[in-house]
Amino acid sequence: MLTDAEMLRYSRHLLLEDVGELGQKDLKNGKVLIIGMGGLGSPAALYLAAAGVGTLVIADFDCLEVSNLQRQIGYTTGDIGGDKVALMKHRLEQLNPEIRVRSINREMDKTQLLMELMMVNLVLDCTDNMASRQMINAACVEAKVPLIVGAAIRMEGQLMFFDHSQEDAACYHCLFPSNEEQGLNCSNSGVLGPVVGTIGTLQALEAIKHLTGLPSGIKNKLKLFDGKTLDWQTFAINKDAQCTVCGKTK
Amino acid sequence: MKITVNENIVQLDDKCNIEQLLIVLESPLKGSAIAVNQKIISRSEWVNYQLQENDQVSLFQAIAGG
Ligand SMILES: [Zn+2]
Repeated sequence: MLTDAEMLRYSRHLLLEDVGELGQKDLKNGKVLIIGMGGLGSPAALYLAAAGVGTLVIADFDCLEVSNLQRQIGYTTGDIGGDKVALMKHRLEQLNPEIRVRSINREMDKTQLLMELMMVNLVLDCTDNMASRQMINAACVEAKVPLIVGAAIRMEGQLMFFDHSQEDAACYHCLFPSNEEQGLNCSNSGVLGPVVGTIGTLQALEAIKHLTGLPSGIKNKLKLFDGKTLDWQTFAINKDAQCTVCGKTK
Repeated sequence: MKITVNENIVQLDDKCNIEQLLIVLESPLKGSAIAVNQKIISRSEWVNYQLQENDQVSLFQAIAGG
């Protein structure tokens, strides 16, 4: 049941045929792990907290630096030097006291991550490096937990949804199979705030749709966003039978 | 034969697989992803995937930033 305070807070959701009271309860029961509290994680966490996702687990191990503030909109100048997860937890609790927020202030290995995956329905990969992305993907495949991946640099973004609860799901490793590859990141290539913010916002949108049972148009697809033209390209990703992470030959 | 790569026309020998295409384009194999006609082709298939006349190839890099 929703309380009167929740009915008021989420009234704009309740007006939506696609969400309504049932959908709002689904959000309240939702448990989402967001890994990385940077340019993707900031808008993703803020929108999911505002939407009333009942349990948010946020993970990062960085302190806030002044160069983060150009795009990481969850923080203020006075926050510099603080732990990102502690700052964000406070921010999210201020935004919505109806939800529970737990923070993980360390770099997780795969074993720790698998423990965390037992307690959530969905993971958002908002990290900034290839090694973390490969590890999160492998853990989500193993635990059969749906994974929404966002990434951005310069004026380009990438968005993918691998629903590992389904047998036919492709995985991140099917698309980018090389573990050695560096992958371009924000500190070596630069990025525009609204570009990374667009991708993080869409991760939140897909998360809300998933939790409320709305169909997603991007499962097993890669969406490429061009911030210069605002064009999107869509590519189908088939499960690679040879994939060492999700394939039968693993 | 004629194909397009990221909307630019490229002339190739009549028999060319994806790995050969990347070598022709002097593009790194690692960190690249390839789609042909909006379908991602897994890296394990690159050697066997023969390109066809008028294929639309998209070539892009893994992005890790966030
Ligand atoms: Zn795979």
